[in-house]
Formats: sequence, C-alpha cells, structure tokens
Amino acid sequence: MSDSPTVLCAQPDADERAETADALGDAGLAVEGVGSLDTLTTALDRSVDCVVTAFDLPDGDGFDVVDAVRSVNPACVVILYTEHAPSDLPRGGPEQVVEYVPRTVPESRERLADVAAMAAAEVTQAAYPIPETETERLAAVQRYDIDQLAATDAFDRLTALMASHFDIDVAFVGLMDEHEERFVACEGANWRTLSREDTICTHTILSDETMVVEDTHEDPRFAAVDALKQLNIRSYAGVRITDEEGNAVGAVCCTDGEPRRYTQTELDDLQRFADEVEEQLLLRRRLQGGS
Amino acid sequence: MAQRRDDRYTFDGLPLNPVEPGTSLLVTGPVLSGAREMGLRLLCSSDADGGTVLIATDSDATTMLEDFERHGGVLDRDRVRVIDCAQESGDLPEDSVSTVNTPADLTGIGIEYSGQYESTYASGYTRVRTGIITLTPLLVYSDDVRAVYRFLNTITGRVGTADGLGVCVLDPNAHEEQVVESVARFFDGRVDVRADQGALDLRVAGLRDQPTNWTPVGAGT
Repeated sequence: MSDSPTVLCAQPDADERAETADALGDAGLAVEGVGSLDTLTTALDRSVDCVVTAFDLPDGDGFDVVDAVRSVNPACVVILYTEHAPSDLPRGGPEQVVEYVPRTVPESRERLADVAAMAAAEVTQAAYPIPETETERLAAVQRYDIDQLAATDAFDRLTALMASHFDIDVAFVGLMDEHEERFVACEGANWRTLSREDTICTHTILSDETMVVEDTHEDPRFAAVDALKQLNIRSYAGVRITDEEGNAVGAVCCTDGEPRRYTQTELDDLQRFADEVEEQLLLRRRLQGGS
Repeated sequence: MAQRRDDRYTFDGLPLNPVEPGTSLLVTGPVLSGAREMGLRLLCSSDADGGTVLIATDSDATTMLEDFERHGGVLDRDRVRVIDCAQESGDLPEDSVSTVNTPADLTGIGIEYSGQYESTYASGYTRVRTGIITLTPLLVYSDDVRAVYRFLNTITGRVGTADGLGVCVLDPNAHEEQVVESVARFFDGRVDVRADQGALDLRVAGLRDQPTNWTPVGAGT
C-alpha cells in the first residue's frame, strides 16, 4: 500500500483525465481516476486525502461531488478544476466551501498538482478547529484499542457513577479520532460514534480548561448543530483526557436534556473522574502491550 | 522595490519582527479605532514579487482600495486584487475585482478568492498576502458557525501551504467570547490593537519574538 497521499480525480474525458493524473502523479500523489459522480461515489472512502473534480460531469456537477465527499469524509479537501470562471458557476451552499484552480491559468495542470500536493499533505476543509499537534494527537489515539476498551467494565462503572453523582441524563468517555468521536463508555444512552464536526468535545480537547455549555441553544457555536438536538444534548460539561505525553486523546463528559449550571465543586469532581479515566486508559494500554 | 534578506514577511513602519512564510494572523480590536487600519498596514508589501488579495466584507472594493492605498499599499491591479462581498458595489469592470452578492456566500467567496489568488500568482507575484477585512459579516450572515470554520480552514490552509501571509480582522466586541476564542484557534498568532487618544498600540500573542506587552505602533523595532 502506497504512503503517498491519495487523490481521486474526476474528469469525464478519459484523455484529459489521464493527463491530469500524470501531472498529479508527478507531484508524488497516488491517483485514481473516475469519469462520473457515480464512479467517484463508489471509489470514495476515508483513506482519500483529496478530490480533484471537473465541474461538469455526465451525472452531476462539482457541488454534487462536494456533497458526496462530505457525506463520507467531511474534512477531505475538494478542488474544483474547471474552465468555468467563478462568476459562471452556480451558487453553492455555505457548507460547500472548496478549493478552486482555473484551467485558464498558464500551465494549469502543474499548478493544480502543486495545490493538490500541498492540500493532500497538510490541509483540511474540516468544519471545526484542529489542534496544533493533530498529527501527534491522532498517533496517540491510535495506540488505544477502542473496541477492547469499550468492552471493559471499569469505564461503564465510572460513567454510571458520574450519571448518578451529577444527576444528569448521560455520562460518557469518548476518544476523538480523525473523523469521529468513539465512545468507550456511555451511561444513559446507546451512543457509539458521533461525527467530529457535530461534537462539543472537538472543542473540549483544544484546552486544558473544563468546557461548560450551560445551554446549547444559547451558544452560537452549537445552536445550529442538529445532531445535538437529536441526541437531546441541551447542556454539557467536559474535561479533556491526555496521555502521558500530553496529547489530548478524548474527553470525559456530562450531558443533560435541560439547561444546567455546574458548581465549582461539581467541576472539581468531574476533573477527578477524568483523572481516574486517564489512569485507567494508561494502565489498560500498557496491559494491551501498547507501552 | 526592496530586496529581501530572507523569506520572512516584514512590516514596514510597524513594531513587529518579520514572520515566517505561511503565517496567518488574527487582528482583534475595535474595527473603526485601529484594527482595520492595522490589518491593511500588515497587508502592504514592498517585495518585488509581493501581491495582495483582499476579501472586502465591510466596504466596497473602491473604498477598500482607497483605504489600502492611504495606509501604504501600492495600487497595481496585477498585484492587488479584491473580492467585494459588501453588497454595495456598482459596476466593477476590472479583472482585478470580483464580486460576490452576499457575505453569506462563503463558497462563492472562497472560489473567487482562489481565482484571484491564482491570477496574482500567474502574474509573477508569488508572495501573496491575504486579507479578510473583516470577518464579522461572515460570522453574522452564517446560520451555522461551522461553515465559517470550514472557510477559515480552507483560506489559512492555502496561506500555509503556499507560504503566504494571512491577515484577518475581527472586532471581539461584536461576537460572543466563545466564538472569538474558537476563531482565534485557526490562526498562528493574534495581534491585539487598541487606540489610546488617537495613537495605536499593539501586542502579539502566539508568535515568538514579537512584542507581548502593549507597544506604541509608531515606535518601530
């Protein structure tokens, strides 16, 4: 399997697609070419780092491509590579922000290759802030066997104790991977995963301060997040959990269906629960042989 | 035009040390009392290969270019380009100016920005300073702040990978504190600006070798 960044290249004309693929390949990218929205959708998965697309495809347009990509890989970079001037393109939705390289600039394929290579390696189009040390953080998360941790009673006992102690609907321990939060234990609900852009925890892991949202409907960061409404998360308190090197791997959290305040004593208790979870995670990772 | 001693971006007349290529700065302060001026001054380039792309949200392109020139910018349509999304524009026939009908159209702004960036680059101006003057309308017009987050990741991503310089102006008093803190995370450093009896002071957070205490702007380094 190649270590090169993976790019899907969608252009309907086979000859043009081959020329674009050659230029992208020369830039060190692993390229898969597709000729339609349908074949692109089939080829999409979370290992794709970047999608380059023409605007006009036989069965859709560039914004259909953006929607298809975002449904599978919300943070993936999409680059429109088209002869259309920006003013000739239809208006996209606010969630369809993309990169754009016009085919009308000199040596446009080489310029596209430059932009794609840089984008595939370093850039995200995620709808959330990324920690400065994201690469190291993700490597740290991968050292945990989340499925095995989820089968461990200790975290279930801790979250049950939290739900009772704070008198809240849901208490959980979640680890934040590249695309979603994965729940190691969850008392009061049957949550397994949640897309990262829908989580409050993606903000919690950014700071060593306890994150409190007394009312999600009144917080402009979360008021429009439908997933929180669907999960009946109206209030939230969370503490990030780190590994021994300081990487923020996840969070220990309380949620409730009603607006709620937390006293300083309660926040201190939540920090103690988080300290306990950190220790348990470290011990269990060592038991798994992950050192 | 000045010859560079290294690849870092410099700021003539400001008490700031050069910053590394790829750096994005958030300029915070009262927009009408210094932050907007500071943003425009940071975008002025004396490099022979320096260009500027301005995303104008709080005034039309003509006003923005006049302000840019007043604060030291050199108006050359090959190297200074504007995306006008202030909804106030008349006819703007020049290729160096693009219009987007509303600050809510983040996708349109992003595409026009990339297009103008590529035109600047193709003209030989490869050290591009990008300005968002200001971010407030983009936040106010967006129903979901996550769309602005995606926009900022895309813009700062291009600045970072193309070794450019990014400058984004925001009035923190116009937004909830949590939103300002979230927005600040997309930037490498933050330049706070205040006006004291007409004189500007600045201080910098998040970058090494910069003034961390309030420093008069006229003092130089």
